Amino acid sequence: MHPALQGLITIVLGVAGCVGYFYFSNQFLDKVLYPARGENAGRNINRANQIRPWLFLFPAIFVLGLYLAYPVVETLRLSLTDRVPGGGYEWVGFQNYAQMASEPKFWEAMRNNMLWLIVVPAFSTAFGLLAAQLTDRIVWGNIAKSLIFMPMAISFVGAAVIWKLVYDVRPIDQDQIGILNAILLGLGREEPVTFLTIPFWNNFFLMIVLIWIQTGFAMVILSAALRGIPEDTIEAALIDGAGPMQIFFKIKVPQIMGTIVVVWTTITIVVLKVFDIVFAMTNGQWETQVLANYMYDKLFRASDWGVGSAAAMIIMLLVTPILVWNVYNARKEMR
Amino acid sequence: MNRHLMAGVAGLALCAGAVQAQDLMVPVGEGGFNWDSYSAFADGHDFAGEQLTIFGPWLGPDAEALENVLAYFREATGADARYTGSDSFEQQIMVDAEAGSAPNIAVFPQPGLAADMASRGFLTPLGAGAADWMSENYAAGPSWVALGTYAGADGSESFYAFPYKADVKSLVWYIPENFEDFDYEVPETMEDFRALMDQIVDDGETPLCVGLGSGGATGWPATDWVEDLMLRIHPPEVYDAWVTNEMPFNDPQVIEVLELYAEFTGNDDYVAGNAADTAAVDFRDSPKGLFDSPAQCMMHRQASFIPAFFPEGTVVGEDVDFFYFPAFEEKDLGSPVLGAGTLFAITNDSSAAHGFIEFLQTPIAHELWMSQEGGGFLTPLTSVNTDVYVSDVRKALGDILLNATTFRFDGSDLMPGGVGAGTFWTGMVDYSSGAKDAATIATEIQSSWDSLK
Amino acid sequence: MDNIAGTKSGLMWTVHISVVVLVALWLFPTLGLLVSSFRTADQIASSGWWASMFPTEQSIQLRTAPPDAQVQEGALWVIEGNVFAVEGAEPTNAGEISAWGVSARDISAYQPGETADMEEDGRLTVEADGAYRLENDVEFEGRRGERVFVTATTPPEFTLDNYRNILGPDNREGMARAFFNTLTVTIPATVIPILIAAFAAYALAWMDFPGRALLIAAVVALLVVPLQLALIPLLKLHNDIGIGKGYLGTWLAHTGFGMPLAIYLLRNYMVGLPRDIIENAKVDGATDFQIFVRIILPLSFPALASFAIFQFLWTWNDLLVALVFLIDATGDTTVMTRQIVELLGTRGGNWEILATAAFVSIAVPLIVFFAMQKYLVRGLLAGSVK
Repeated sequence: MHPALQGLITIVLGVAGCVGYFYFSNQFLDKVLYPARGENAGRNINRANQIRPWLFLFPAIFVLGLYLAYPVVETLRLSLTDRVPGGGYEWVGFQNYAQMASEPKFWEAMRNNMLWLIVVPAFSTAFGLLAAQLTDRIVWGNIAKSLIFMPMAISFVGAAVIWKLVYDVRPIDQDQIGILNAILLGLGREEPVTFLTIPFWNNFFLMIVLIWIQTGFAMVILSAALRGIPEDTIEAALIDGAGPMQIFFKIKVPQIMGTIVVVWTTITIVVLKVFDIVFAMTNGQWETQVLANYMYDKLFRASDWGVGSAAAMIIMLLVTPILVWNVYNARKEMR
Repeated sequence: MNRHLMAGVAGLALCAGAVQAQDLMVPVGEGGFNWDSYSAFADGHDFAGEQLTIFGPWLGPDAEALENVLAYFREATGADARYTGSDSFEQQIMVDAEAGSAPNIAVFPQPGLAADMASRGFLTPLGAGAADWMSENYAAGPSWVALGTYAGADGSESFYAFPYKADVKSLVWYIPENFEDFDYEVPETMEDFRALMDQIVDDGETPLCVGLGSGGATGWPATDWVEDLMLRIHPPEVYDAWVTNEMPFNDPQVIEVLELYAEFTGNDDYVAGNAADTAAVDFRDSPKGLFDSPAQCMMHRQASFIPAFFPEGTVVGEDVDFFYFPAFEEKDLGSPVLGAGTLFAITNDSSAAHGFIEFLQTPIAHELWMSQEGGGFLTPLTSVNTDVYVSDVRKALGDILLNATTFRFDGSDLMPGGVGAGTFWTGMVDYSSGAKDAATIATEIQSSWDSLK
Repeated sequence: MDNIAGTKSGLMWTVHISVVVLVALWLFPTLGLLVSSFRTADQIASSGWWASMFPTEQSIQLRTAPPDAQVQEGALWVIEGNVFAVEGAEPTNAGEISAWGVSARDISAYQPGETADMEEDGRLTVEADGAYRLENDVEFEGRRGERVFVTATTPPEFTLDNYRNILGPDNREGMARAFFNTLTVTIPATVIPILIAAFAAYALAWMDFPGRALLIAAVVALLVVPLQLALIPLLKLHNDIGIGKGYLGTWLAHTGFGMPLAIYLLRNYMVGLPRDIIENAKVDGATDFQIFVRIILPLSFPALASFAIFQFLWTWNDLLVALVFLIDATGDTTVMTRQIVELLGTRGGNWEILATAAFVSIAVPLIVFFAMQKYLVRGLLAGSVK
């Protein structure tokens, strides 16, 4: 069978299966299990409404549980064990965590991750909001959007080449192929700068890459939110004589605050998982280690699954404040 | 009508013939190849209908070359042998083996990873026969056997991985016409080599191009330097003690080597660009300095695969040539050679997989790749006809492998992955940038080794 | 009135200019990649991409024709030609020579038109356009021509070879198959998670049941699970239940990995929908299923479209999940990202192919982006509220 045809059939089957599940399970609930008629109509409606959320949620919970929660449990278990030479595992308690805490590379990764967590979500969201607002009403806005969005669409290998062509450094008597150094030398600098090897500051040069990529994400989501703002609130503000700045900060931003926070949260989590950029550009050397790359290093280089899993648990722990905040918010909305 | 039909059949036959000729790069029986070993193998093995999957790190021209060799295995045995390559081989083979979907044969670029897999019981021993064959037929055979011998899941040692395809590392690349223009002689001893470096500096030129950058593997070229120098100032026994950590990494003998490395590459006069920035220069870019106009440097120490990164159209042997990275005359340690090899191991047992390992023991399996440009294949097998090497240069490289008085494998490959592909790399990066001194680096690497024990 | 119009157009100008600046900043790095995709590997490694667009002065090494091209003129042996000529062909990409030399010691020893005396190797004269005359009293020997170092201003030179390499006949068949395979992976892996997530998001946004807040927190927590950790347990699971490596497992994996973000984004959007519409519908006797299909889904189109764009992108550019869950050792089910990686050498560094591949594979995601953009429409919501 032609792969395209095969693909088409599976697409139709998969989608029909999903729709079918939701439709028929609801029909079953309303018509067969608890029909909303007869003597128990009122009670039946209530019961059906208690069950319905779980019908809606079941496929999602199933997939999440199997594909994400189960690996988390597995990871937690691995982080408390060590491989015994010759196969099998032994329980070692928190020894892996202790070993990790004794490694300076781990603390370097923690420090850098904190920097990343502050800088990248802030700048990506800010630039994304700016781009979304500015392109909203201009004629060529869609084209501008696609161009800012493009880094998201470029595969990671492509992005690595792009930034090599920006940060690359050559000896002074050779032609530079990195544009930043070419500009700096053109402005009269004596020596080319090795951007990726200057401790501390090189972290920021790596962050720029992620900001460059993630701004497109922030822009698309925020732009959808901006367009969801009811026109009448803006019209009312215009009639009251509000300037464009006031409208933006006092009317628009508060209305999409929820989305801004979601974008911020999502990018924060992307940052926690960021691995490819550091891996490809410095591999954590010159003091640019981050937790995700540290974890990868332990998993696949040192093949030390115990410590690697422990690092993963730390990454997941770091997200706890966001969790607490989300529970708080969800409660507030429910009221 | 009949004639038309006949013509059609003839045409079909012609097509079929053409297809077959395309599959096999040299028809069986032609050229200086050892076809007897091929027919003997073909007569003794039949795996018709069996599938044999091979998974390795080779891509592009390397993969094509292996594919050409596999065509003969398919032809001889009827097995459906397939190769797939991946740039994230190391990660994937681990995932596949753990999850139970491993290929029949895995091609390991580093013994460290293979040893790790063997200790978890993922590899099938190849049997004493293969090991015996290798000690007899490979130059420096016992050391090749040692390269593929690991402790299995039960702790006992067996021969698990078959080295096939080797690299020679102790090479210095230079441009003969540049040497001619400056009246330089190819140095025969390390003393001459160092004198030549000084002479080059006096002439206002730069002796060396050094690049340690390699993305996620940045630092490995420096480990090759250190190993090569180690073999040149200490006897091989010290080298062996070092790679097994019988001698700690921060032993004065190792620190001595690290300091010697800094004498070569830590000096702005000796190195193109800034000596502290060698880690920022990609190893794939650094040989290009030889070919620049004016030349950035006169010499480049790198393994036999590096011509793949020379500018397009460069003819090795004419435009550029190599010499053996010489040994110290005063040390009297012979001519040690540093090398590396890829290892074939059975990750999913089948009769065809064992058959393939036996195929690798035929001279023809080596000669077929020797005759191809792709992959830079060299072999330590003594029974091959070295005339089939694709070029004289390749033959000369192969001869270095066959004639080495002392042959040692890339030490970083022999160390545990966390050191040899981890802290040793990163340590050398810190060291070359001048951030830390040799003793500090050595102590840090040793402590990372301790934590793995 | 004039005043207001004045500030308004002034403001518009500011907006236009800011957007131009922003776009330029974002586009500039990519422009380097685009230009590089039309250059050879040697060009990329030896000069900056910005320099390639203008005639540049470069020092290069060229050769005279080899000794077998010599002719005898009286007592002299002579080789004539053009240093820019490649193997007897007409000189391509000829430059304007400003200085030249014959030894690595001094690569700009001579001006065009001057003659270098190389003693036993003869006498060489090179003109500004590259024409040269090499003469000697004795016959030339050896296989190679004399090296000539020239400092020349050469016009820009671009090549389509990289694109030919990726899309050309040698690779076309594999690429076409990989293209269909990739679509087979991406489309279900985009549509299925959206459907499932939309229902779940609605339940989490508008239905009341115990444990809702905790479930939301769990979804956020699962966003952070590192992919690398999930690979082994999941592949093991797939092997155990008999799916093995294949499309089904890949769709499930992509669905699983994309699900938390989908639910999180969609729930957030749906929570913001006006309460009155939903309550009015309930009063009118609509069931939750009807409300979801008739009201929520159409209203959520912008959010659905934006998530669809991202999920499509990730699955399109994904290599890791495909390698682990799809591509078995037979290599039949290859995808585009893998087909491209195949073209790279074992030791990497083929930046010209990477650059080209990036633009080949970006085409479809950009089309999807444009197609989806019309659903990110303003006023859909505003209209329905009134």
